[in-house]
Amino acid sequence: MSEAAAQGNQARLSSLLNSQEGIVLVLAVLAFVLFSLLLPSFFSPGNILALIRSVSILGILALGMALVVIARGIDVSMIATMVVSVSWAFVIARSGYSLEFALLVGALFAVSAGMLIGVLIAFGEVAPIFATLAAGSVIYGLGRTFFFTLEMQNVPPGAGWFSLIGQGRILGVPVTVVIFAMLCLALHLVLSRTWFGWQTYAMGNNPGAARITGISNRPMIVAQYAISALIAYGAGLVLASSASAINARLFNSTMIYDILLVVVLGGIGLNGGHGKVRNVILGTIFVGILLNGMTIMNIAYTIQNLVKGVVLLLAIVIDSLVNPRDEQTSQQGDL
Amino acid sequence: MTEIVQFRKATKAFAGNAAVRDVDFTLRQGEVHALLGENGAGKSTLTKVLAGLYPLTSGEMLIDGKPVSFSSPADAMKHGIAMVFQETNLIPSMNVAQNIFLGEERFFNRLRGVNIKAQQHLQRLNFHVEPTALVSTLGAAKKQMVEIARAVHHKARIFIFDEPTATLTPEEKQHFFALVERLKGEGASVIFISHALEEVLSIADRISVLRDGALIATDEARNFTRERIVQAMVGRQLTDALYGDAAAKRVARRPGDKVLALENVSMGKAVRSATLSVFAGQVTGLFGLVGAGRTEMMKIAAGVLKRDFFHGGRITLRGEAVRFRVPRQAVRRGVAYITEDRKLDGLFDTMGIAQNVFLGKLAKGSNPVSVIGLGEARRQSAEWIETMKVRSIGANVRVVELSGGNQQKVVIAKSLIQAPSLIIFDEPTRGVDVGAIAEIHRIIERLADAGAAVVVISSYLPEILNLSDRILVARQGRIVEEMTIDEASEEKIMYAAVH
Repeated sequence: MSEAAAQGNQARLSSLLNSQEGIVLVLAVLAFVLFSLLLPSFFSPGNILALIRSVSILGILALGMALVVIARGIDVSMIATMVVSVSWAFVIARSGYSLEFALLVGALFAVSAGMLIGVLIAFGEVAPIFATLAAGSVIYGLGRTFFFTLEMQNVPPGAGWFSLIGQGRILGVPVTVVIFAMLCLALHLVLSRTWFGWQTYAMGNNPGAARITGISNRPMIVAQYAISALIAYGAGLVLASSASAINARLFNSTMIYDILLVVVLGGIGLNGGHGKVRNVILGTIFVGILLNGMTIMNIAYTIQNLVKGVVLLLAIVIDSLVNPRDEQTSQQGDL
Repeated sequence: MTEIVQFRKATKAFAGNAAVRDVDFTLRQGEVHALLGENGAGKSTLTKVLAGLYPLTSGEMLIDGKPVSFSSPADAMKHGIAMVFQETNLIPSMNVAQNIFLGEERFFNRLRGVNIKAQQHLQRLNFHVEPTALVSTLGAAKKQMVEIARAVHHKARIFIFDEPTATLTPEEKQHFFALVERLKGEGASVIFISHALEEVLSIADRISVLRDGALIATDEARNFTRERIVQAMVGRQLTDALYGDAAAKRVARRPGDKVLALENVSMGKAVRSATLSVFAGQVTGLFGLVGAGRTEMMKIAAGVLKRDFFHGGRITLRGEAVRFRVPRQAVRRGVAYITEDRKLDGLFDTMGIAQNVFLGKLAKGSNPVSVIGLGEARRQSAEWIETMKVRSIGANVRVVELSGGNQQKVVIAKSLIQAPSLIIFDEPTRGVDVGAIAEIHRIIERLADAGAAVVVISSYLPEILNLSDRILVARQGRIVEEMTIDEASEEKIMYAAVH
């Protein structure tokens, strides 16, 4: 290796260690080593596989969230969209229609919900956090009132291939993990290789400049929320398949915060414009190790939530320090 | 007459550039003192120093003969200095009384008591403002009254007005002048920044003219005429190489086809029935002082802003009537607007140079390949980065790390890669180093020579004279004067721009 190349590698290494990504990577490796040494049952092929599988669904949801966050938005309605569209699809399937048709209806519902939210944000100019927060309640309320009444919706009987999604394996790798990996690859290609991805970054970076340059921000926003809703639906299907049912109560769980935790911790700044799929993967792995370790250690659920909350808070504070929203606000110090 | 404020050799520099240089300025007790000058002449900076917003870099400021330096606007307020902003300093969702007594609320407040106190205060000043009215429902003149009432309540004796009459109707202006007279009658001193020469000549006792940060003239108002003021504002000695060869030596390009025409275009109060034409193959210079609406006119033409829906006038692009909702539509038809504030809406600042430039191409929809990448972006933007001579230490540098000149070149390249036929440069050399200015000017000339219609908006007269073949002057939302480069001179342009 030439000297220049070695120097380049060294520079890259030091810049990696200084970035948020680098810090999280180091923390993840530390946590992994620590848990492996302290918890005898942690470092076993079975547990590692279970860890990746359990965290895959979170990772899939985080991919959708990442797309929206890169464009300077946020989508806290993902869980509502997920549970309502999947539950409704199961209800339709059990009332006599074919499973394929029912799943298509569920997908259409998810996409239209996402588009409606996108229209509210893009054309109504509602702040994304409020639009998606309110829309999430509306979607969940609609679902519980009109589409299904039971919280627990079982996978309809006689759906052989459907249960493979969550329980099958390809060459020993769970299908869930394969789906997560494929979606990662797909989103990576979209973000880095298509005009849609590039313009998404541009919008998140500077919406005003994007507009003047001739990018149509509004249709882009609608598309982004539609895609994130569709990804949420997909995650819901994987979840339902592996558990043989979907529980609408997830809407009231801390799942949406786990998704944000993955995205922010992985290094996708909430101020938009940067972050890659590898940040999602990194965040997913770190959160996965954290959750799995705490579960093996038999830490109470409430304390786990406290730990997650503290980590999320820290990640957001660090994010806003590392990536200030703009120069004007970051320099205000006269208090 | 006692001199209440004195500046001695006052200098205020921002990042090494002096905005105000060695100014000796005095304000007397009970006088109305007008400050005049071009955009960027240093009027605002000087008054902001007095109001405690900036400290002086060097020199002295004396109040009542004693040297002072303020650490904050509140500090200046304690010395009786009040800067009256247009309307920014009032809280719109509170009523007049609450605004007047803002900052001195007790632990428990009775609105009625506050209202009564405000009523008495306003009556003493003879202001006809209802103390219980919400500030958001008041007009511009009434808001000014509230600002002044608040300042008087804080025992202010020096009032600074920055462009107070720009948004007022003629009737409101009369009220405002009466008010200034009354303040003067009570022994207060007033500093008055304005571009409206007639107003200044009629109400000011003394006039000072600033140019490029230096005080050019101070005298009794009766010794000034319009001509003398304009002369003082523009009489620049052009010695530096950049603007050295005067524009007169140049042969104006002949106009080609009419590309853009605005007919009676209006937008709110900023643009009022503006009419102008832009022709292919030449540079049209657009000059105007603050509030003239020149940027707004061009932003409307480029679809960045929308003109009034009713009585908004007519815009034709190459003979075809257009009404753009979004800039995208204008971009697709070959109109490029290059922003005056590249940080705000010009750059994708954490991206690289090639990415920034290539995004222009993507947005135009003229990208030939559907699968793209950094390599593709570099290939396609290389030509323009080369043409614009963007210099950086490496290909991966984020544009936020570039110098102002190189950033501006990136913004220009991002627009030129879209192959526009009408290019609007808004302050193309603001915050740009001298070397880059020359290169940007060369590009502008080349575009016009190649047959494009080019508009250059600038506040700097030498730049306008140096580049333009034809000059339009905007004032109060209208185009008030059109001249060829052969007829134009600094005095003539400035004479049209002030009023």
